[in-house]
Amino acid sequence: MRTHRTALLALLSATASAQDTPLDSDGASRVETTAPAVSRQRFDELRITLQPNPDAPWRSIAWRIDLLAAQREASEANKPLFIWAMDGHPLGCT
Amino acid sequence: MLDRESTFTDQNLLQSLRDHCIPVALDQAYERRQEDAKGEFYRRIAGQGPRKDFRGSTQGFYLATADGELLMYNNNRRPELVARLVRAALERFDAAAETRPAAQPIEDGEPDPQWSPEPPDGGLVLRTHTRVLGGYPERAESPEPRREWRRIMETALGRDNCWLTREEHRALASGEVPGSAIRRIVRFHFVDNTRGEPPMWRANEVESLEFERDGDQIRGNVRLRAKDDSREYVAAFLAELAIEDGSVTRFDLIADGSFRGEGRYTPGAPPDWFPLAVSLTLADGHDVADRIPPQGSRGWVRGYLDTRRD
Repeated sequence: MRTHRTALLALLSATASAQDTPLDSDGASRVETTAPAVSRQRFDELRITLQPNPDAPWRSIAWRIDLLAAQREASEANKPLFIWAMDGHPLGCT
Repeated sequence: MLDRESTFTDQNLLQSLRDHCIPVALDQAYERRQEDAKGEFYRRIAGQGPRKDFRGSTQGFYLATADGELLMYNNNRRPELVARLVRAALERFDAAAETRPAAQPIEDGEPDPQWSPEPPDGGLVLRTHTRVLGGYPERAESPEPRREWRRIMETALGRDNCWLTREEHRALASGEVPGSAIRRIVRFHFVDNTRGEPPMWRANEVESLEFERDGDQIRGNVRLRAKDDSREYVAAFLAELAIEDGSVTRFDLIADGSFRGEGRYTPGAPPDWFPLAVSLTLADGHDVADRIPPQGSRGWVRGYLDTRRD
């Protein structure tokens, strides 16, 4: 087993866990130190929770991502181009 | 994600795009800057719309002929409006079909290297998803469509891709943990991208990072904090790998932790600390989105791959 540490804070050497960290004066806001380890059960639960919906309507479109390849296809098929141009990739991080 | 989950739910629009158009999705931050045939063609189309200053965003929906004549531009995501505008533009396209000369195909030519990144040869592509867990607090009701947009953002799954290099792939396959890969994952992918384009973490905002490998598992813990104290993420992570014939055939990572704060383009975060989870899983290359560069690499892939840089 290999262990790597970078810029290890004094905070990390503290033994406090997320469960016993103090509350703010209003009792609502928790001050985090380290997060509890990801259990096997939690790992499986979150893998499901973080699955994208394969049946989302936007996925029913055969999106192209190469504008000139699409231009050539549109020329051949005599169809117009519909361009969904965003800040951040619409099929990626937006 | 607002457009994904709002505009493209209109069945009439979907039908028009499927049957009568060649649909293209792109991050206009690339095409409006590209000094090559692709950028030139994009600017020819976008320059006929209201966003002609290519120093700023040209985002929106465009419908254009294959020779670059703009038939429609709109930057309003309301599905019924986009459907109506597309239908009208298609009618104009059809009406001129008899007299329009055939469009000539445009060859790629030499691509602008800064804006034409490809996944690292021999490396790995990981699909990345992010979700705010536990919901958002009740807020005062706002009128439609803003109420619907808020509902979409508050239940959204953030998407991105993560790239690992050939050297990192080899290291993972030989039982090591490449620190560069872990640093890249935490800096560029442990972000809250569920409401828009997020700020990434700078190298000096990784306050602590600890990880270890035990067989085919990697466990770790990270604390990230913006220098201006506007954002923070404290998370543990667990990855499971499978190796066959010197290649990684499975890579599943889950990060589970608490986040606070928001970025300029990700407003509306829950107050205080909120639970945020991130998953990374090996892409199989069957989804066209697997070829999209990571958001954090935009315009500077070298800076993304070399995580010692800011």
